[in-house]
Amino acid sequence: MTEALAFAAWLGAALVVLSDGRRGLALGLGLVGAALAGLALATSHQLGGIALLAGGLVAAGLRLRDGPESWGLMEPGSTPRIILTVVTGLFSLWIAVTVATGDQASLRFAVLAVLGLGGARVLQAREQAASMTAISSLALALGAAAAFTGGDPGLTPYVIAAAIAAAGSALSPAQRIGT
Amino acid sequence: MLRPRPNLAVIIGALLGLGGLAAIVLSTPGLVSDALGVSLSLSAPARAMLIVAAASLAVVVVFAPERAERSRLLGFGLAGLAGMTAIAVAPTLDVVILILLALVVLQAAAPAARPFSRRVRAPAFAVAMLAAGLVLTRLAGPSLLERFGAVGLVAGLVAAVGALPYMHEFDAEESTAASPIPWAAFIGPVLAVTIVMRARELFPSAAGAFGAMLIGLGLLNMIWGCLAAWRTEADVSAWRYSFSGDWGLALCGFGLALPEAQGAAVLILSSVLLARLPLYLWSRQALRDKVQTDRPLNLLVAAVLAGSAPFLGFGARILLLHSATALYWPLALVIATSLLLWVPSSLRLGRSLGRPKGPQLVGIVLVLAVNVALGIFPQPLLLLAGQ
Repeated sequence: MTEALAFAAWLGAALVVLSDGRRGLALGLGLVGAALAGLALATSHQLGGIALLAGGLVAAGLRLRDGPESWGLMEPGSTPRIILTVVTGLFSLWIAVTVATGDQASLRFAVLAVLGLGGARVLQAREQAASMTAISSLALALGAAAAFTGGDPGLTPYVIAAAIAAAGSALSPAQRIGT
Repeated sequence: MLRPRPNLAVIIGALLGLGGLAAIVLSTPGLVSDALGVSLSLSAPARAMLIVAAASLAVVVVFAPERAERSRLLGFGLAGLAGMTAIAVAPTLDVVILILLALVVLQAAAPAARPFSRRVRAPAFAVAMLAAGLVLTRLAGPSLLERFGAVGLVAGLVAAVGALPYMHEFDAEESTAASPIPWAAFIGPVLAVTIVMRARELFPSAAGAFGAMLIGLGLLNMIWGCLAAWRTEADVSAWRYSFSGDWGLALCGFGLALPEAQGAAVLILSSVLLARLPLYLWSRQALRDKVQTDRPLNLLVAAVLAGSAPFLGFGARILLLHSATALYWPLALVIATSLLLWVPSSLRLGRSLGRPKGPQLVGIVLVLAVNVALGIFPQPLLLLAGQ
């Protein structure tokens, strides 16, 4: 089950990288939020998982409000992005399964893959919708990463992460001025 | 409601800011508070940086640059200060990075000349690097993971403050609040102190590699920043590079990991907040008008920026050289040689201040006086930072 959730998180982050339209971005963000929430629930962080799920779904819903009105999936010139999603997935898998030891391999893979793909998308994005979706996915991954702290991380990181993810999608396009 | 009454907005903002500052001043460093259900504590160096940042904001707002609205300056400054306080008191590094991400989103909401995606690119990438570094340090496994984590945290820190090799994109015509300057000169000092202090607890086995990377990037920023500030074509870019030069000194101080070197880093960052940032803001109108003068005041400003005696930067440089000599003397030789590079760039920046008058002139005299006082007697600042 956790393996499927980890794959879903990678798939969601890959959709965020490969989409330029609001529907594709929203679907990717929703998948990331739901998968990371599921992994948090699987690691006994129930309230944190609920917060991440709420943050991810609200962010995905709000993402449907602006950005190019299409799916925008794998438009011409997307080959480097496709390669990026595969390479990042494989590298995260290598770190999570082969290099690192202990439990929570699925969560390790999911967090590393979403952080890697989110960071890459922020660098590559040209539209506000794509940038903010990437930032929302980074926030959700950071929230889920709280499970790696030795003791009980409490609810704080999950709630802040969920709030940032939702705020990122709610942000209206900033007015551009000359000076 | 307050938009048509900017003076009332400034008064209310100032009262709120003073209240927050009083809470920071009255707090006890290291004491953990669970009053809000979350463990909050403030370290002495972060508290010192917050107080210095608040003083810098007060100077800039009282002696506001030409064409700048006091209420907007104060609003952005207080928002930044609130974020910095949250960073300083956050219970874990996860929360620190999340608050940094929130600040990235908030700054991106401000109107600006550059497109949104270009403005968030560098700081959001810094968050991704910091987060990846933090996750790697927390994973169980070989020590290689800790070293990878240290690389992520150092790269993320340098990217967050906009130092080399991750300089943020800069548009000379953009308002300062929306530009990369707040990351380098306002939020950066508190962020750096917080991350460096917490990072050392995360990876004891990779502490040496962490310090070495900080020193290496520090030397790169010192030499490249000063050379670029001297030789670059536009004066406004020269100011931008000069912040990198100062960050080079601070990174070296953090990397040396001796108490004296940490004190030097705190003093350097204080000089960024109390001298370079306000002087840059006051120079912006002269930069637009392309006015350059060689009056005694410009030379004094150049001396402050170069970190010469008796100003604050001088004591910091002496402490840094002393620490570097104690650890590895060839490093002190490299740092001492690179310190000479500050002179030509600072003379250039001093000239670019033009002919300040009115509140700006009073502000510059105040900055000079404060830097002389702290240069001659830096002990209160060092004690405040727990050194």
